[in-house]
Amino acid sequence: MPTGETVRMATVLAAAGISKHYGGVYALKGAHFEVRAGEVHALMGENGAGKSTLARIVAGSTRADSGTIAIDGRAVRIASPVDAQRLGIGIIYQELDLFPSLTAGENIVIGNLHAAGQRMEAFCRPYLDQVGLECEVRRPVSSLPIGQRQLLAIARALSMSARIILMDEPTSSLSEDAAERLFGLIRDLKRSGFAIVYVSHKMDEIFRLADRATVLRDGATVGTVEMPSTSAEELIHMMVGRQLAVTARRERTAADPILMVRGLTTTMLKDVSFELRHGEVLGIAGLVGSGRSELGAALYGLDRIVSGSIEARAAIGLVPEDRRLQGLMMQMSVLENSTLRVLGRVARFGWLDRRREAAELAPVARDLALNCPSVDAPLNRLSGGNQQKVLLSRWLLARPGVLFLDDPTRGIDVGAKQDIYRMIDELAAGGAGILLVSSELPELLRCSDRILVLRDGRIAARYYARDATQEKIMAAAAFGDFIDGARC
Amino acid sequence: MRAIALLRRAQSLTALAGIVILAIAISPTAGDGSRIFLQAGNLTDILRQISLIGIISLAMTFVILTGGIDLSVGSILALSTSLVAMWLARGYTQHIAVAILVAVAASGAMGAINGGVIAATRMQPFVVTLASMIGVRGLAKWITSNQNIDIGFGRDLAAEFAATFREKAIVIGSYAVAAAIFWLVLARTVFGRHVRAVGDNERAAEYAGLPIRRTKIWVYMLSGLLSGAAGVLYAAENHQGNPNAGVAYELDAIAAVVIGGTRLSGGKGSISGTIVGTLIMGVLTNMLRLNNVDSNVEMMIKAVIIVLAVAVQREGKES
Amino acid sequence: MRTLVAVSMLLAACGGGAKKQFLVAFSQANNAEPYRAAQNALMAKLFSGMPDVKLVISDAQQDNSKQVAQVETFIRQKPDLLIVAPNERAALTAVMGQAMEAKLPVICLERDILQPNYTTYVHSDNVAIGRLAGQFIVDHLAKKHGKPRGNIVAMRGLLGVEGEINRERGAKEIFDKYPDIKIVADPVADWIQAKAKDRMTEVLRAQPAIDVVYGHNDPMAIGAYLAAKELGREKEMIFVGVDGLGGPAGGIRKVLDGILAATFVYPLCVDKAVEIAGRILHEPGFKPEKDYVLESAIVTPDNAAQMYQKFTVLQ
Repeated sequence: MPTGETVRMATVLAAAGISKHYGGVYALKGAHFEVRAGEVHALMGENGAGKSTLARIVAGSTRADSGTIAIDGRAVRIASPVDAQRLGIGIIYQELDLFPSLTAGENIVIGNLHAAGQRMEAFCRPYLDQVGLECEVRRPVSSLPIGQRQLLAIARALSMSARIILMDEPTSSLSEDAAERLFGLIRDLKRSGFAIVYVSHKMDEIFRLADRATVLRDGATVGTVEMPSTSAEELIHMMVGRQLAVTARRERTAADPILMVRGLTTTMLKDVSFELRHGEVLGIAGLVGSGRSELGAALYGLDRIVSGSIEARAAIGLVPEDRRLQGLMMQMSVLENSTLRVLGRVARFGWLDRRREAAELAPVARDLALNCPSVDAPLNRLSGGNQQKVLLSRWLLARPGVLFLDDPTRGIDVGAKQDIYRMIDELAAGGAGILLVSSELPELLRCSDRILVLRDGRIAARYYARDATQEKIMAAAAFGDFIDGARC
Repeated sequence: MRAIALLRRAQSLTALAGIVILAIAISPTAGDGSRIFLQAGNLTDILRQISLIGIISLAMTFVILTGGIDLSVGSILALSTSLVAMWLARGYTQHIAVAILVAVAASGAMGAINGGVIAATRMQPFVVTLASMIGVRGLAKWITSNQNIDIGFGRDLAAEFAATFREKAIVIGSYAVAAAIFWLVLARTVFGRHVRAVGDNERAAEYAGLPIRRTKIWVYMLSGLLSGAAGVLYAAENHQGNPNAGVAYELDAIAAVVIGGTRLSGGKGSISGTIVGTLIMGVLTNMLRLNNVDSNVEMMIKAVIIVLAVAVQREGKES
Repeated sequence: MRTLVAVSMLLAACGGGAKKQFLVAFSQANNAEPYRAAQNALMAKLFSGMPDVKLVISDAQQDNSKQVAQVETFIRQKPDLLIVAPNERAALTAVMGQAMEAKLPVICLERDILQPNYTTYVHSDNVAIGRLAGQFIVDHLAKKHGKPRGNIVAMRGLLGVEGEINRERGAKEIFDKYPDIKIVADPVADWIQAKAKDRMTEVLRAQPAIDVVYGHNDPMAIGAYLAAKELGREKEMIFVGVDGLGGPAGGIRKVLDGILAATFVYPLCVDKAVEIAGRILHEPGFKPEKDYVLESAIVTPDNAAQMYQKFTVLQ
């Protein structure tokens, strides 16, 4: 077995001059990249850079306006997902394209050109084994945890004889341990000669997994780099085209409590007690399913409280985890989305004053560096980061004393993240109390004063941010470690 | 962005313009050589003929914008015709206004029940209003013993009511006023904004703390109220309270809304679109009848128009 | 006689010299009922004998508003003659008044309206038909039991409709004279054969002895027959209907087939209407009477073959 360093594997996929526009907006302008067999190739870029669109074009679910795609050096035409399947290209979408009410087996065989005339168990089992998914083929997908669904989607791609597998933000909804499992599988696949195209902007993942990375900016390819000989700073520079100063947060002094939670118990939470002070950012860590989002739902009054008390000295706002599902009205405009909670303020006897409405949004949009063609643009024309900013603006306009932010930077680009950190700092400086849920521990450590770690609905540990480390938090989240000191 | 919205609206307007031009082109001519389609009498006939469905489709637009549907409008119309005719022809009241109020209020109550059940149980609006479509029809038949209540042509109160409210100007005027009010409410009020937000993304509306239940109860109640108002006009036009009136009106109203570009899944649509959709159906029907096209063929042509109108608007969305 | 009229009209038309084309507009309440389909067929056939007349028929599909709108549109077209078979009396009264105001000759066909907004009204008499049917049933019972006694099931049409009210009233006038004749059930089947079969099935379960089924129209009588046949009881009773339409699906055929004991012709009114129409169009001075009542005729196995010939319209 030759080592990867000495023998260059052949180029299996080459895309060149790919352009795609929606209305007057270009998603891609002559983008290009090449993938070799046996490599993990990262597609990077800020949200809106066009990396997902590029992946979808290669997978046949979006048609390019122009450009060429070659497989094994031969030009091919990919007009539909079936074409892609025939050419050995599989894709795992960020929002997994599984049928939740069908079984695992049915999801593998449905639309599968290779499954015709075979028994379901016999056909599916090898692929389930290959991805390490131990589940009945008869099990409905809706009963599988998200991490296992991801594996199922990969098994589905493998069963379609894919040699080139595209993964679009595969870890965006995975817990850390599920992500680790996925990384192991990706390495296995790579060793077996598969070509993996890994669409992400999570720097740490890419450094751990990828052999090469192609960076897109504004729909065009900036360049392709060999991972071992590059740095995070260089990649960020390529992605944003400017240097980002990661500002350190200013220390805050303790003040009076604004929210007191005592013995809070719901179906998902058990005996949760804490205090939040004016001007404080309280980080909430925990694996997916630990009760992080449910804490927000309980505080906001969406879940029934079994016992315990919530004493809030100000209105509580909630920015939900899934902005498309729980947050935004995609058909409505930027302005309409942002003022939804404060219509009373811009209306007289129920009649809206559109000028006042626009005047309310203007300063907040400026603070957030909201970038949109017009405040009347429908939301589905905005990038993910800007959509998130619109959702935040809805709550900034409402000026709640307590704001529960549930993973506010999930799936958004580096620049937008910095804008959101800055906003959190400013809100806290203005005296609000912030509850910040995040899956990214560096983010929690950067933004919070204190950090609560949830595990199975209970508070497993509490830390001052300055004393906490990623390792301590991970340990508490995974094992409920109370031993370590520095608790508060 | 505003230009795009205008363009989209213009597409259903283009369809309307096309049909009007066609109607003028193929219109039979009167004895003096003028085109019958363009006669003032004929044009106002069209407006009067679309007014009932037009009124119902205004509130139906609201219902569909919230992601719902109201199948009970035809039955509520029948109930309203029956009540207004009973109150007047049987002398339960000496005031026309009281009879109208009774009919419209009862219709609004039926709508509010629809909305209340939908909001409280979270059952699908299709199922709830399907049930009330059957139940309210039964109620209308029951209170009338399934008999028409004829309004005569004498000098009594009922006859006076019919003579007044079957005036073209009153019927068309009612539609115009209702259309203006509903257009303003949707475009310019907090309630209108809530209607669209709930239909666009109900979960998000819940997370944003919007009054989802209240909004739903209101839209179905408005649907009941307007169906009731249409029922009053129906009773005057047809000189009868008729518990079997309005069958399949819900489908005509939904068709007008859909042709007008409102998404059946909610969140997107406009009153102006619905008005254009109603006009398209009205002009098309008149054009075909003036040319003595068989009414079965008329239905087939309408089917094609519905699909074409919606297809054209989807096309517009993509580009 | 009819041919004579047609010939004379043809002559009149030729004599006029100028080839004037007449437009006759017929607003039909619905095309779905067999009775109305037969009206349309006969009217088309009779007018086709007048080469200078163009006939257009609109179908209101049992919808008052639709029929009002169709008549309005006809008024705009200024036909030379308007024939209306109203769906419901109150709904069409006003718009037919508008037609009169527009100086159109208007023939009201079969159903009446609230005000005499027509030039002439051609119709039949359902009370008389009800009496004829009632008498036929009484005679049958007298023959069967030696005296007029027995159990009757009445299949009623759509409630509140003139035909239903009067066909029932006429028959009851006769039955009421004989205290031993009982109407043991009178379910409502809305004129529809399938509904009549269901209702009759229920009646058969409840009633051990039935002598006569009186259907207010032929399809309901036939539906009742089918229900009885299914339960093997069709021999113990007779089935009497009303309408007496020709053609393979009509009631006369069912008398020939031995399913119905009798049916009573409910005149289509069309031949009379077309005759009057021809005279209005072609004889400038002609003044029709305000009202023409057409008589019924009984169809029994004795005369069914002959009646079938007479009432079957060959397209």
